[in-house]
Amino acid sequence: MSSFFKSKTVQLTIMILSFLAVFVPYFIDVPAMTTFSTELITIAAIVSAFTLLLALYSQFRRGYTFIQKRKRGWMFKAYMMISIVLMLVFALFGQETGPYNWVMYAIITPLSSVNYSILVFYMASTGARAFRARNTRALLLLITGFIVLFYQAPLTGAFFPQITPVALYFTGTFVAAVAKMFLISVTVGAIVFGMRVLMGKEPTILGFTKEEAS
Amino acid sequence: MDIIEVSIVGVGAFLAICMFTTLYGKSNPLYALAEESYIGFGTGLTIVINLLFIYKTGILGIQAGDWLLSFGIILGIMVLARIVPKYSYIARVPIAIAIGAQFGLALRTEIFTGFLDQIRSTIFPLLTGDAMTLLNRWTIALSVIFMLSFFFYTTELKGPLRWSARIGEYAMYVAFGGIFAQTFMGRLSLFVGFMQNYTVPPWKIPYLLGSLIIVFAAVIILDRAKLLEKLTPEE
Amino acid sequence: MTEQKTEKRSIYRMLVEYDRRIIYLFIFVLILAPLMQPFSLPIQVSPGTMTYYNVLNGLKKDDVVLVVFDTEFSGYMEIQSGILASIKMMFEHEVKVAIAVAHPEATGIPQLVFDQLKGVMDQHHYIYGQNYINLGYIFPNSASVASTAQDFHSIVRQDAYGRSIEGTFLDNVNTWKDWTLISVYTTGIQSGSIINHYGLRGTPIIVNCIGVMISTQQPYLSSGIYKALLESMRGGAELEYLTSSPGPGLTAMNSFTLGHYMLIIAIILGNIGYFGYRSEMSRKAKEER
Repeated sequence: MSSFFKSKTVQLTIMILSFLAVFVPYFIDVPAMTTFSTELITIAAIVSAFTLLLALYSQFRRGYTFIQKRKRGWMFKAYMMISIVLMLVFALFGQETGPYNWVMYAIITPLSSVNYSILVFYMASTGARAFRARNTRALLLLITGFIVLFYQAPLTGAFFPQITPVALYFTGTFVAAVAKMFLISVTVGAIVFGMRVLMGKEPTILGFTKEEAS
Repeated sequence: MDIIEVSIVGVGAFLAICMFTTLYGKSNPLYALAEESYIGFGTGLTIVINLLFIYKTGILGIQAGDWLLSFGIILGIMVLARIVPKYSYIARVPIAIAIGAQFGLALRTEIFTGFLDQIRSTIFPLLTGDAMTLLNRWTIALSVIFMLSFFFYTTELKGPLRWSARIGEYAMYVAFGGIFAQTFMGRLSLFVGFMQNYTVPPWKIPYLLGSLIIVFAAVIILDRAKLLEKLTPEE
Repeated sequence: MTEQKTEKRSIYRMLVEYDRRIIYLFIFVLILAPLMQPFSLPIQVSPGTMTYYNVLNGLKKDDVVLVVFDTEFSGYMEIQSGILASIKMMFEHEVKVAIAVAHPEATGIPQLVFDQLKGVMDQHHYIYGQNYINLGYIFPNSASVASTAQDFHSIVRQDAYGRSIEGTFLDNVNTWKDWTLISVYTTGIQSGSIINHYGLRGTPIIVNCIGVMISTQQPYLSSGIYKALLESMRGGAELEYLTSSPGPGLTAMNSFTLGHYMLIIAIILGNIGYFGYRSEMSRKAKEER
C-alpha cells in the first residue's frame, strides 16, 4: 500500500490525469466530461482548503518548541497559542455578534490595517535617502517619479492642470508596457514550469526528496 | 456609542500603535504583543473560516446528494497526514490531484490572458485611432519590444539589438519612476485609511492620541532603563 | 591631553545624515493634522474613473451584479471610498447585488458596508434575499472560483449566515453567463482567477485595486478583459466627487496631497545634501593636497 503512495510514476500519472480532466473539457464540449471536470475542480477546492488547516499545526509546533526551550519571551508564544484556541472557541458562539465579532473588529482589523501601512514610512525614508540622480537612468526615474507624484496629489491639478496629460502619458504607456512585458515573460515562464512539473522534472513539488526522486 | 464600541476603538488603537513602535528602531515587547496577537487571532480566524468553507461546500454538498464530494473530504483528511513525518507520503495523492487540477485551470486560461491577448492588444490596434491614441499605442508597442530585447540573453547584444536593449533599459527606468509613485500612493492610502478609521467620528481621536502617548512613552522609558532587550522575545 | 576638534556639521551633511525617525514623525503629523480638521480640495477626474463611472451608470434595474471583496482588511482601508461609492451607485440603480469574499479578514467588510449605506438601501427598499445577499467566504482558492464559474450552486448552497440560498434571486444564476457585471475590490488574492474563469469567458469585470497593483492590472484593461479600472483611494475620491457623495476618499485628499509633497521635498533635499556634501568633500580633498 505504501509503495503506491511512494511511487513517483503513480503520483505523476495521477497528476497528469487530473490535469487532463480539467484542461481538455475546456476546449472540447462534452457534457459528461464538463460535469466531471466541475466535480474534480470542487474536490480540488476542498483539498486546498484543508491544506490551510496545516497552518494550525505549524503555529503550534513553532510555539511549543519555543516554550519548551524556555527562550526569552516564551509567554508571548503561549499567548499566541491561547489566542488561536480562543478564536476557535469564540466561533462556536456565533460570528455575527459576541466575542468572535469583538476580536474581529478590535484586534484583527486594526492590526491588519497597520501591517501594510507601516511600509509608507519605510518607502518615504528610503526614497529620501536612496534616490540620488547619480546618472541618466536615475535622473529619468526621478523625473518621471516627480511628475506622477505631483499629478497624484489632487491639489496640483487645481493650479497646474497641464501636468495631467503628461503624467497620464507616462503611466498609460511606459508603465503599461513594463507591466505587459513582465506579464508575458512570467506567463511563458509559468507555462514552461508547468510543463516541467507535468513531465516529472520537478518531483519536489509532489513532496519527493531528491533521493526519492532519483 | 456604547461600551462595546468604545472598547473596540480603545483596544484597537492601543494594539495598532504598539505595532507602529517598530518605527522606533528597536525591538520591544509592545510590538511583540501586537505581532503575536495578530498571528494568533489571525490564524484562528483563517482556521474557522476555512472549516466553514469545507462544511458548506463539502458536507452540505454530500447531504444534498453529491456523493462525489466525499472524495474531497477523504483526500483533504489525507493531506493532514503531513503532520506525522512517518506517514507524510499519504498526502502525495491529494496533493497530486490538487496540483494537476490547478495546473489545468491555470494553463487553459493563462495562455490567453497572459500571453496571446496581451500580444494581440499590443500589435493589432496600431493603425486605428486619433493622433493621441496612435502615439500611446505606438509607444506601448515599441516599449514592449525594446524592453523584451533588454532581457534577451541567448546571443550577445550587438548592433541594432544593442541599441534596442539600451532604449528598452531607459524606457524601463522611466516606467519604474511611475511605478514608484503609484506604489507610494498605494502605501500612503493604506496609512491614511487607517488614520481615518481612528479620527472619524471625532470621539475616537482621544483614544488614538492617548494610545500614541502611552505606548511611545513606555517604549522610551523602557529603552532608557535598558529593559527593552530583556523584555523582548528572542527571534 | 588630546586636543578634541569638534567638527561642525555642514547643512549638506545634516541633509544626508539625519535620523530617519524625523521623516516618520513628519509623515505622522502631516497625515493626522488634516484629518482632524478636514477641508475640501478641488479634484480632477481622470479618464479611467470616468469610464468606471459610466459602466456603473449603465446598469439597469434588476441586473445581477457579483461584488467580490478580494482584499485583506488593510486593503479595505485604502479602497473603502471606491467600495462605498460604487455599491451606493448599484443600490441607486436598484440592481441585485451578491457579495462574495476571498479572504478571511474580509468577512467583516460586508456588514460595515451595509451599515454605512443603510439609508440608501432603505430608500430603495432593499430586502435581503430578494435584492441583495451576503455569500461570505466562497473564494478561498482558484479552484473555487473556477467551480462557481462553471456551476455556481456546486460550491454555494448557503449564505454567510448559514441560511439556504434557495428562493433568493440566485436561483437564476448558474454559470458565468448569468452575471451582468462582476465588481472586484482587490489586493490581488483571487483577481487572477476571476480574470481567467470569468473575464476570459466574456463576463464584464470592473476593478478597484490598491495603488501597488495599478501597473500590473493595466494589461488586462488594454486587452479588454476589464471594462474599467478604478485606481486606489484617489480613484475612489474622484468617484465620490462624480456621484456627489463625499465620503472617506474626498476627506482624505488633504492628507494625501501633503504626503505626496512631503516625499517630493524630502527627495529634493536629499539630493541637494548628497551633491552638496560630495562637492564639499572633493573641495576638502583638493585643499589637503
